[in-house]
Amino acid sequence: MIEVTKHTRDILLGVAKKRKVYIEGNFLKLLKAPDGDTEFEEYLRLCKEKDSTARRKRLQVTKQVQQQNKELVDKQKETDELMIELQQALESAKESEEEANQLRQEAEEGKDKALEDLELMQKKTQFELISTIVKVALYVIVGVGVLTTVMYGLALMSGTDTQIIGSTWSNMFGILLTNAFSIVGTIMGVKYATEKE
Amino acid sequence: MINSILLVDDEDLFHLVFEDACSILDITLSLEALNSSDEADEKFKQWFPENPADERPECVFVDLNIIGSSYDGIELIRKINFEYGNGCVIGIISSSDDNQEIEKAKSAGAQFWIIKSDDIEPRLEEFRKDYEGYLNRTASFKIYK
Repeated sequence: MIEVTKHTRDILLGVAKKRKVYIEGNFLKLLKAPDGDTEFEEYLRLCKEKDSTARRKRLQVTKQVQQQNKELVDKQKETDELMIELQQALESAKESEEEANQLRQEAEEGKDKALEDLELMQKKTQFELISTIVKVALYVIVGVGVLTTVMYGLALMSGTDTQIIGSTWSNMFGILLTNAFSIVGTIMGVKYATEKE
Repeated sequence: MINSILLVDDEDLFHLVFEDACSILDITLSLEALNSSDEADEKFKQWFPENPADERPECVFVDLNIIGSSYDGIELIRKINFEYGNGCVIGIISSSDDNQEIEKAKSAGAQFWIIKSDDIEPRLEEFRKDYEGYLNRTASFKIYK
């Protein structure tokens, strides 16, 4: 322990009285009042009390700040974790979008293929219809031709007047041949045009 | 009262808490606080063995996980005890109470383990009562919960 001199003691007490400035810190614990000096003893007690009060206050505040810091760190951790989760969710959404785009592309390709197939089937049906019409038309033409020819032949063999049936057969045959060629030409034209498309 | 204490802890706010708590409880008059085990290592290199008694602290409190250091508190205790000479009361002050770590600290030569919390003063008070036993190596390892 350090015992202060009278000179130092007087200065310390004077400063405390006039300017309200007191000794602080652990050095205070090393000071000892001279025996019987109750005034200086009281001064040291007051200094210690003030120092202790200040330290208690600071300790309380520091603990509060420490606690707040801990909470902030915990919150920061939570935020970081959330950010990571968010990032993962965004990446997952991006992947899903890419997958959806790929599926849509595949679906569009499928749709195009189906449309192509449908068009092909329609064309096939059209061809079949045209083919049937042509066949029926040809049968009618050939049938009418054969019928007229048979009637003309019978008229010739039976010796009846063949003027009307002859000109009829001639006209009929001409018309039938013309129509037949016309039909064949039309069919060829249609087929050619369709093949080009 | 402990002549001098060295605290090794990366948290500056805890330095203030520890200093004020020690002052209020009249545990020590001299406290030095360092932020890393590397700094402490440098100091101990100077203190041991050239100048074993003058400057070295009487008691050392080491945090378990010292962020920004090359090694943790247990390794620092091991170095102080086995490389620089076993010359001071030394132990851990940490918020952890992991049994495995406690066992490791014991085998490294730690004499006590104080668990950090908001209310550190009662533990330091209890530690002060046991200190004499640590100083003359009669007290066994103790955990202050």
